Amino acid sequence: MTTIIETRNLTKIYGGHTRAVADLNLSINEGEIYGLAGPNGAGKTTTINMLITRIAPTKGTAIVAGFDIVKKSLEVRRVIGVVPQDFTADEDLTGRENIMMVSQFYDVPRAKARENVENLLKLVDLEDAADRLVRTYSGGMRKRLELIIGLVHDPRVLFLDEPTLGLDIQTRTQMWNYVRDIQKKLGVTIILTSHYLEEIDALADRVSIIDHGKVLITGTPAELKGSLKGDIINLTLSDQKGVDIMKTMPDVIEVADAGPNAVRIKVANADEALPRVINYISSHELSTVKLTVEKPSLDEVFLEYTGRSIRDDEGGADARKMAMNLRRART
Amino acid sequence: MSGLWPLTVRELKKWIRNPTFFFTGLIQPIFWIALFGSAFDITKFFPSASGSPLLSGAPNYITYIVGGVLTTMGLFTAMFAGTQIIFDRRLGPMGRFLSSPIRRSSIVFSKIISSVIRIMPQVVILVIAAYLIPNGLKFVHGFTVLDVLVLATAIILVAFIFSSIFSVIATRMTNMQSIFGIVNLVNLPLMFVSFAMFSKEMMANWLADIAQYNPVSWSAESIRMVIINGNLTASQWMQVGRWLGALAALAAGLLLLTAYLAEKEIRD
Repeated sequence: MTTIIETRNLTKIYGGHTRAVADLNLSINEGEIYGLAGPNGAGKTTTINMLITRIAPTKGTAIVAGFDIVKKSLEVRRVIGVVPQDFTADEDLTGRENIMMVSQFYDVPRAKARENVENLLKLVDLEDAADRLVRTYSGGMRKRLELIIGLVHDPRVLFLDEPTLGLDIQTRTQMWNYVRDIQKKLGVTIILTSHYLEEIDALADRVSIIDHGKVLITGTPAELKGSLKGDIINLTLSDQKGVDIMKTMPDVIEVADAGPNAVRIKVANADEALPRVINYISSHELSTVKLTVEKPSLDEVFLEYTGRSIRDDEGGADARKMAMNLRRART
Repeated sequence: MSGLWPLTVRELKKWIRNPTFFFTGLIQPIFWIALFGSAFDITKFFPSASGSPLLSGAPNYITYIVGGVLTTMGLFTAMFAGTQIIFDRRLGPMGRFLSSPIRRSSIVFSKIISSVIRIMPQVVILVIAAYLIPNGLKFVHGFTVLDVLVLATAIILVAFIFSSIFSVIATRMTNMQSIFGIVNLVNLPLMFVSFAMFSKEMMANWLADIAQYNPVSWSAESIRMVIINGNLTASQWMQVGRWLGALAALAAGLLLLTAYLAEKEIRD
């Protein structure tokens, strides 16, 4: 597998002391969907902005599709596609005019551009709306338009920054299908940042969790979830005596109190451990009130590695931006 | 590669498609010449002024003032060239431009060029309106192709100069109110501290001293010279050449400055 993006001690320091990104080393393979997850201010957007040559690194560099982002920024821009968080299409032009204009930015020959536009519009089901002013599009349509504007010049790498921020659940799932389709049909490498960890779980082949400008862990979503070493079985019993007995259960990773008459049992694999837990309960003649199984999601992985929940700081700039985008798009 | 062409086409499409923007722009010259031509008519203040040095030999005030009104109209339209940059930044398209492999100065130059183009039909309408209104524009000594060229050159240069200045200011601004504030601060001074509406003889000395360095004066005076005199003498041509030369030099300087600053300073 060939590496298409490699960062080498990539660093961005703002105002002489704020280290937004610190000696970041990433290696991204051609053709994969690579997720970047992290809380607000973790350095995701700064990293992306350096990779797309919108800002220059303070130290270190990165190689994108064979070009150095510091020395060959123009070449980098030509081989990458960008789908920013915000809407960038001109509302006073039609969808098609927007795509054609951006094609001209990349010197795509006119005939080729026309052909591309048709294919791309079809890919995200925008053929019927193509000749309407973007002003009349819904939020989901505008996101889809942004998605294909980033693809007009057949880029080798596509950067997707929060592709579904502010969209409703149904539209989000639809967007995921479009992203998968694009990856499959065009074979483009996709770098995805998202607040929604289930989105990264659903789309990404590999993911890096970033905080304080550093990579905390990298792996496939399955590996990361597996790294937590354990599923959780929550058990509520009818009395405290039962709790004490449960705490003596052998062959589990850990049994901890979880409120009145409740325990939280950590096991390697809940599917296999559950019958043992039930046997243990019945052999000690305990009566249970409630039994639930928790499989770790990326949210738990995130919590484990960053020490905070990704939802904690959602009142920040992203939420404001989201509200602004929503106001601008008729939904 | 440079992106200048698609960006300029975009600006012009937006202009033509916005009926309010388009038609008010076309009606404006008629208002201006009719109102300014009457309001500032110095021959009404001083009935003896007709044909006197106060009008530099023009048969009436409209003929005298056309060059000034054309220039101020170019100036006022040009001063808003920068606002589109702020809109692009606030509404998102700037993000797209900055991540594309285009020259960053193209973003700014597309505003300047489209602003200059938008002024052209206004110029034509204003000249026609001035000609048609009662006691209006009179070409006593004829009007040659060369005179038309002088008029067009002066307006294009003035429009370019002020579009550049205000676009450069806008490259670092995020707030629409700031640019409107600056426009309001300088528009009337630029218009009145110039020979656009009144001749040197009617001004306080200190005002006339400043006005002679105002590019608005250079443009207004060169247009006035060809409109009033038709076929110019050699010394009159020299004078027009000096004015247009000064405008061209200033425009060239601003072209370089804009190119440099736009590449360096334009931000999201």
